[in-house]
Amino acid sequence: MRILELKGVNKSFGGLKAVEDFNLSIEEGEILGLIGPNGAGKSTIFNCIAGVYPPTAGEIYFKGENITHQRPWDLCREGLARTFQIVKPFSSRTVLYNVTVGAFATTGKRAEAERRALKVLRRLHMQDVKDVRAGNLTIAYLKRLEIARALATQPKILLLDEVMAGLRPTEVDEMVKIIKELRESGVTIFVIEHIMRAIMALSDRIAVLHFGKKITEGTPKEVASDERVIKAYLGEEYGTA
Amino acid sequence: MQYILEDVINGILMGSIYGLAALGLTVIFGVLKVINFAHGSLLMVGMYVAYWAVILTGLHPYLALVIVVPVMFLFGYFLQDIVIKPIFKAEKAVREPITVIIVTTGVWYILDNLSLLVFGPQYRNLQDNPLRGKMLEVGGMLLSVPRLWGFFAALLTALAIYLFFQKTRTGRAIRATSIDREAASLQGINQYKVYNVAVGIGTAAAGIAGVSLVPFYNIFPSVGVLFDIKCFIIVVLGGLGSIAGALLGGMIIGVIEYVGTQFMAATWTEAIVYGLFLVFLFLKPSGLFGVKYEW
Amino acid sequence: MGRNTIRIGPLVLAGVIALGLPLAVRSVTYLHILVLLYLYAYLTTSWNLVGGFAGVLPLGHSAFVGIGAYTSTVLSLQYGISPWIGMMIGGILAAIVGVIIGLPTFKMRGAYFALATIAFAEGIRVMVENIDNLGPIRLNGPRGLQIPPLNTGLLNFMFATKEPYYYIILFMLAGVLLLTYAISRSKLGHYLVAGGEEPEAAMALGVNVARAKLIAMAMSSFLTAFAGTFWAQFTLYIHPKSVMSLDISFEIAFIALIGGRGSIAGPVLGALLLRPVTDFSRIYFGGKLPGLHLIIFGVVLILVMIYQPRGLQEPLTRAYRSVTKKLFGHTEAA
Repeated sequence: MRILELKGVNKSFGGLKAVEDFNLSIEEGEILGLIGPNGAGKSTIFNCIAGVYPPTAGEIYFKGENITHQRPWDLCREGLARTFQIVKPFSSRTVLYNVTVGAFATTGKRAEAERRALKVLRRLHMQDVKDVRAGNLTIAYLKRLEIARALATQPKILLLDEVMAGLRPTEVDEMVKIIKELRESGVTIFVIEHIMRAIMALSDRIAVLHFGKKITEGTPKEVASDERVIKAYLGEEYGTA
Repeated sequence: MQYILEDVINGILMGSIYGLAALGLTVIFGVLKVINFAHGSLLMVGMYVAYWAVILTGLHPYLALVIVVPVMFLFGYFLQDIVIKPIFKAEKAVREPITVIIVTTGVWYILDNLSLLVFGPQYRNLQDNPLRGKMLEVGGMLLSVPRLWGFFAALLTALAIYLFFQKTRTGRAIRATSIDREAASLQGINQYKVYNVAVGIGTAAAGIAGVSLVPFYNIFPSVGVLFDIKCFIIVVLGGLGSIAGALLGGMIIGVIEYVGTQFMAATWTEAIVYGLFLVFLFLKPSGLFGVKYEW
Repeated sequence: MGRNTIRIGPLVLAGVIALGLPLAVRSVTYLHILVLLYLYAYLTTSWNLVGGFAGVLPLGHSAFVGIGAYTSTVLSLQYGISPWIGMMIGGILAAIVGVIIGLPTFKMRGAYFALATIAFAEGIRVMVENIDNLGPIRLNGPRGLQIPPLNTGLLNFMFATKEPYYYIILFMLAGVLLLTYAISRSKLGHYLVAGGEEPEAAMALGVNVARAKLIAMAMSSFLTAFAGTFWAQFTLYIHPKSVMSLDISFEIAFIALIGGRGSIAGPVLGALLLRPVTDFSRIYFGGKLPGLHLIIFGVVLILVMIYQPRGLQEPLTRAYRSVTKKLFGHTEAA
């Protein structure tokens, strides 16, 4: 089943065209990667999907329904969750509190929300830091917290925006493991990533964005050997982990 | 018909003084990106300084500018340096715009009540000054002379500030800092000094407005409150950071007040001004000339 | 000594003392001061729902005090309706006005929001000051309304002595504190905190931030209006400057900020610390040094904002914790 579909999505900011005629479909249960040089428009696409702003043109379908102009909180209720490239924890509160906020998306009772939050924390091996003030966490834990919060909302599809940025290689490997486990549990994953090793290992398919346009799409092996992709990346200040 | 024109012109004259009062607020905002809730109190201080300068020296009110401008400049300079700077320097949790608002509100309260304590609540005015009550007859209309003086003071001050920011080295440094703090400091500009000067200028402008007002306005400790809110309204109307906007916004308010009182009680015109303010806040927060700030 | 005892102990103690105070304090002046103290603690705690939990800075709450006061007074003076019912109606009216104000203003941030609330509050005050009669309703403009102290009794919300007022406001204060505590643990509370700290993240987690803030605003204005009715029945005279002035709005906000907005104890603490300053400086310096307490407020406010932006409740809580740790080996948290 096509869980997410983007048809002819365009997004302009004033005169600047950030995304042009973008088409994509994601199958339920797959892990789709989105790569491209900095400024290619990847986060813009995420923001359009997640309801931060609507596309200038085009349509977005989630589980077959047109969600093009829906707002983030409604989308979350319907099962679409996302993380942020620059982490946004509720710094003055504990890790548990942070995740509980997410858990409240599907319940009104505090006890139940807290229970679900604890379960999520255990799944992500964060139960030891549950009472730590979020503002005091390391970047690795902060990135994991972003995922934990989004996970607590019981999403069908999870949009991960550069969750590996800033992590050490061992931490990256841990994160890959976690994301694979998430897919096993039935969550579709749409991931933006710069760290090639990670995204090649994770994705079933990869789409490549360059100057707002999709230049190719395929399996990791196909994309890695595609000339257009290599040209897009050569000459750019770009590093792999 | 003639009376309406007279009201409009007097409204413009008075309004330009409002604009002059708001000039300092808009300059401080344009540079520091903070809204100084104590601005009305600064105006009040300017009025008292002007009043005492005239009483003690017997000078013509506008000659008292010689005393008022430097005193007010230094007052603003050190107010920024001692009270506001610590907040800018502190970490993010403290530095949000709201904290500065709260602190300047505290300054407002301190200044107003300190002057109540020191000067007493009585209304004062400069009874014998050469401008009081004088009228100029132009084409059958009576124009208020002190307000006319204020009009020219407003234009000259606005021009002076504009030229200062455009032509002088310090002025350009201030503009650079207001656009990009970090880039400017990399160029060797001391941002805190820049802020001090900017607040000094804004306060001096409030002082000039005070001088324009004392020939015909009563002076009392809470006179600043009326102007404070009016200045915010003007600054939002005209656009935060815009000098021309401040003058124009002030004139609009002045005209509403003067023409309005022909048709309704003075306090109803007050309500209209509030209403206009809210309309602008909702529909066009950037005002007539300003830029919208996301904060 | 168990954890719960440490947590609840001081509250129980405070409650017992509060209940028994009128028996020990016989002076009418001091009882009056205590009533005002609880009133301001009530006002700041109600303000805290939107000024603390929702993370915005409303500076026009006196408008709701005024709405409450005028509604119940007009209804009882002109139509003979019991002030208690008038209180409810005033609360509902205030909630509606609060939502109307909040709808356009919550989209704004920082100073714009604060300015808008000031403009609304002052606009309403100016209108009430100008209107003598609104159709059949007598508002009496700047002269205000006086309540003749005729029929006393609980039903009429009018008493000959101060004690009943003391217990009523104490009860109201306890109620609003319990409500705040319940909300802080609830979904709404979590959503308000999230929306206040990181609105974008909150929205992505299913929080309709604007709606949560509106709900908080409606609650806050509803409860604040009750204080207006209480004030009217306590002082038996209301006029725009006494119930709707900017000074009241600011004092409420200052006290909450100094005590620590966003916490439950903060506003009460602020009131406990600052109200006596107002009352005693009025008693001892009265005519000689007017406005002294406001200068002190201003200085304290600035110092607190620079050194303890989360309010004085933070260092006080830390001190309390270190004391209980020394005495009992642990605090109420761990």
